[in-house]
Amino acid sequence: MNDDALYRHWLELTWRRPLTPVEQAELQAWLATHPEAQANWELESGLNLLLEHLPQAPVPSNFTARVVAAVEIEQRAQTRASRFQGRFWPWQWRWLPRVAVVAVVSSVSLITAHHLYALRQDKVQFARSVVAVAEVQSLPNPAILEHFDEIRALNQTPAPDEELLKLLQ
Amino acid sequence: MSAELDPDAALMLRVKQGEAAAFGELVDKYKQPVMNLACRMLRDATEAEDLAQAVFVQVFKAADRYQVSAKFSTWLFTIARNLSLNEIRRRSRHPADSLDATHPDLDDQPLQQVEDKRTFSPPDSLLHGELQDKIEAALAELPEAQRTAILLCRQDELSYEDIAMVLGCSLSATKSLIHRGRETLKQKLKPYLRTGVWSGPG
Repeated sequence: MNDDALYRHWLELTWRRPLTPVEQAELQAWLATHPEAQANWELESGLNLLLEHLPQAPVPSNFTARVVAAVEIEQRAQTRASRFQGRFWPWQWRWLPRVAVVAVVSSVSLITAHHLYALRQDKVQFARSVVAVAEVQSLPNPAILEHFDEIRALNQTPAPDEELLKLLQ
Repeated sequence: MSAELDPDAALMLRVKQGEAAAFGELVDKYKQPVMNLACRMLRDATEAEDLAQAVFVQVFKAADRYQVSAKFSTWLFTIARNLSLNEIRRRSRHPADSLDATHPDLDDQPLQQVEDKRTFSPPDSLLHGELQDKIEAALAELPEAQRTAILLCRQDELSYEDIAMVLGCSLSATKSLIHRGRETLKQKLKPYLRTGVWSGPG
């Protein structure tokens, strides 16, 4: 063990417990050859002493009795709850809540999936419509329709003169 | 670890079988260290008392889940730390609530009255009152993990490995937490450590 590791070893020992006389002697011998560690070691020892003598938290004399009483109350509440459960919920039906939860989760999943599928179909349909419209060739220039009504009127043949037709016959 | 090696585990086995006396023994043995930890985590003796009680009730309720292979003290301090952290979180959210409010369904239960026969010894700590305040304040200012590591370090029954388990970190991280915490304490308390003001009670 090198010097650092050895010093660390002593430190970690004293963090948890006082050193035994043998360990103390070994440490003193080590410190004699490493005076640079002396100052820090004194601080560590002082801190150990402070922590060791930290006052104990006050514990009421009836603490254990109170804990036991609290546990008894807890037990009574549990017994009451299990009796209530047993009366209205026979043990043979214990599986029912789990099955119900599974059923509800499955139903919600299915409905959600169906809804999402329908939504997706709508989007696909819309996209197809957009594509169809986009593929239509552009309309002719409106200028060519300027005399549309007149031209249309030219093509209209007048109604046959029924009387003249009869005379000709 | 077998039940023969760890007497606490043997007691827990008896608790599992519904033996109230065994539970009482465990409470008696660990009430002081749990209270010490709770007190320094919460910095309020009354709340610490409630919390320590909740820790032991939790131990009783979870007795069925206790694995004999686990060291009892490690398990107990893990519960104590978790409940303390929960309480600190709850305090920050609802500063005015009390721990008693956590079991509203039990409010109708008559609370068994047990007399507190605690005797208050003359406060020998008065001589060092100011210094103790400084230490407590310095400890309270440490980050929670460092403070808990240093406090657990003084528990005879906990090894560094056990402390690491309670803190949920590696062995090297645990030692590093202790080292850093102690360095901070040394800096803050240096004048007292150097002058040797403290020579221990008595």
